[in-house]
Amino acid sequence: MSRIVVTGLGIISALGMGADDTYARLLEGRSGIGKMKYLKSKHTDLPVGEVPFSDEELREILFIKEDASITRTSLLGAAALREALASASLLPRDRSWKMAFISGTTVGGMEKSEQYYYDFLHTRDRDEYIALHDCGACTDMIGQANPYGFEMMTTISTACSSAANAIILGANMLKLNRTDIVVVGGTECLSKFHLDGFNSLMILDHEPCRPFDKNRNGLNLGEGAAYLVMEREETARQRGVNLLCQLSGYGNRCDAFHQTASSPEGEGAYQSMMEALAMAGLQPSDIDYVNAHGTGTPNNDESEGHAMMRVFGDHMPPVSSTKSYTGHTTSASGGVEAAISILALIRSFIPANLNFSEKIDSLNFTPVTEVKQEVELQHVLTNSFGFGGNDSSCIFSKIS
Amino acid sequence: MSIYIQSASHISIQKPLSEEWMEMPIIPDSFFMKSEEPDYKPFISPMEARRMGTLVKRALVTSADALRKGDCEMPDAIISGTGLGCVEHTEKFLNAVIDNDEECLPPTSFMQSTHNTISSQIALRLKCHGYNSTYSHRGTSFDSALFDAFMQLSLGKIGTALVGAHDEMTPDYFLMLSKLGYWKTNFYTLEQLRKGEEGGAISGSCSLSMLLSMQKKDTTLCELKDMEMFYRPGILQSRHAINDILLRNKLPLSEIDAVVMGLSGDQDNDDVYHELRKHVFQNTPMLWYKQIFGESFSASSFGVYVGAVCLHEGRIPYHLFFNPDEADNFQKEPKNILVYNHFHDRDHSIVLLTK
Repeated sequence: MSRIVVTGLGIISALGMGADDTYARLLEGRSGIGKMKYLKSKHTDLPVGEVPFSDEELREILFIKEDASITRTSLLGAAALREALASASLLPRDRSWKMAFISGTTVGGMEKSEQYYYDFLHTRDRDEYIALHDCGACTDMIGQANPYGFEMMTTISTACSSAANAIILGANMLKLNRTDIVVVGGTECLSKFHLDGFNSLMILDHEPCRPFDKNRNGLNLGEGAAYLVMEREETARQRGVNLLCQLSGYGNRCDAFHQTASSPEGEGAYQSMMEALAMAGLQPSDIDYVNAHGTGTPNNDESEGHAMMRVFGDHMPPVSSTKSYTGHTTSASGGVEAAISILALIRSFIPANLNFSEKIDSLNFTPVTEVKQEVELQHVLTNSFGFGGNDSSCIFSKIS
Repeated sequence: MSIYIQSASHISIQKPLSEEWMEMPIIPDSFFMKSEEPDYKPFISPMEARRMGTLVKRALVTSADALRKGDCEMPDAIISGTGLGCVEHTEKFLNAVIDNDEECLPPTSFMQSTHNTISSQIALRLKCHGYNSTYSHRGTSFDSALFDAFMQLSLGKIGTALVGAHDEMTPDYFLMLSKLGYWKTNFYTLEQLRKGEEGGAISGSCSLSMLLSMQKKDTTLCELKDMEMFYRPGILQSRHAINDILLRNKLPLSEIDAVVMGLSGDQDNDDVYHELRKHVFQNTPMLWYKQIFGESFSASSFGVYVGAVCLHEGRIPYHLFFNPDEADNFQKEPKNILVYNHFHDRDHSIVLLTK
């Protein structure tokens, strides 16, 4: 079966817009988490990973008219999509290839709905946003905001693993020759609904998050979008484009333990990593870097840590959670972290896990605390876990 | 290698967990049709049921029933489609955020608000660690879930899949979509629905689960031969896609015994199907189902379900024919049925079912 290769990526997060800005910030070790600027929540004491552009700025960058109705989730998605397509040398109006667009999101247009909900029910002033509320509408808007003709679109909504599952569906479509090129990933903007939701579960840290630290106290909510362009190797070679890396394995398993909490032994996480390794035909010792889900909540990091110990035993590869830079970008995180993992792979560095000071007692490893440069990576694994025990893992490898 | 729809179970406007609609369909008499609730006790204890949202409760019951009918204890994959997810809980939490000014919020409604609550609650109940996913893409949410299952079965990654479509309609969401012209506002007759000269459809909430696997049994409903999804095709590309799928499966159009369409009585929606009729299906009997199951983001699942049941029973009831004269002339046992669905002429899908 033909290899699935990645030929483009686009990313926007609290670290800025584009792969180059993201890379620069990761090298500097400078987090994007800070005080909220655009989100109008009363909980201003909660740090967030906000994309440093207003809606108006994003519209301008994307040439979207001032009076056009569009949600922030779609604006972020459109920005990431534009970069992804350009970096894969996909030119506007080139219809030589069949392309599918698969995007993950969960709260979709909620950030507008929560502002206009009174109007939705009692006036006619904001009716256009009713139709933009649902997840599918966000994907549709993003797909329309670019001049490429997608021949198929769908939306995945598995909470914080949505984007990872978009990668998996896209890969399966390519394997069965159902399309030539897939653009896969996810997008999610900050909303009061989401912030207050996580806050009601008491899993938000009032300080910058501390993944895998003994005294970690929750996550910081973030926002962003990221998409990968993937195709079969022969399509990419025919197009004569640069091959960034290969998607060598992926797994999706369900923890089936609790609606929002992870099991102590991380069963779903363990199984999804093992499935990805088996598909890639790799041994755990072949993995050179793990970009962990690592939200910074007491429950996730312990559970994920145990799952990783079951997979890697005493030979834990370098691990870091880049949520200490971006915050938890929820539905986008599988895409954001896949993009960061691919950058690490092709630019030979390992991003640091910020704010770590003390090892978790029950775990046998500590995360990477200083960025490492000039390290040869062959295989990187990235985890994305969601509410409902939706656990997915992807392995990206250098093209041999 | 063949993929089969083993079993299906639904909660809808029609009698729940039953195929009674084949003989005695309930004809909607309002533009907001409530679903008929089944007896939940055999499936969920009353105490558990009280804590559950409507949608999750229905999904658990149709899933359990489909698994039972298909004689499967543990599916390899659980894949759901839901256009709006758990709206009941989402609204509850959203209203609390607004009314309580972001203070003292109920964590349970937030936990239950995510779209993947349905698939994960099914997995939790079955203790199923297999593949688990949820699609939320408006009118093709179910089609996407089915496509995912179809591809994974084709790749041999899984052997069985529980595929569902679940959507509820709350009064507030009904009102909001009314403003966008989604629903009928007057009483109507079947004849008026057929003419489709007005906007809006009948709103129905529904839950449908089906079991897919690779073994053919006596109880198997039909074979899921092939399917395709595409975006904003226009009539030429639609025709192309239909020809492609038929060619791929070595079936001439003349061997398609009926085409199931999502005609709903909403003019804009129906025009797309009438165009297809005019340009592709001139001689293929046309079936409809939204006149008895209603319209929702999950409604397309009933197109596949209706086709599957007709193939299994070897007959098509009179009331499913869009044109009564085609029903009068239809004598044969159906062997191949195409199901065509579109949402707002953006997302389209074709599903090919064979006996």
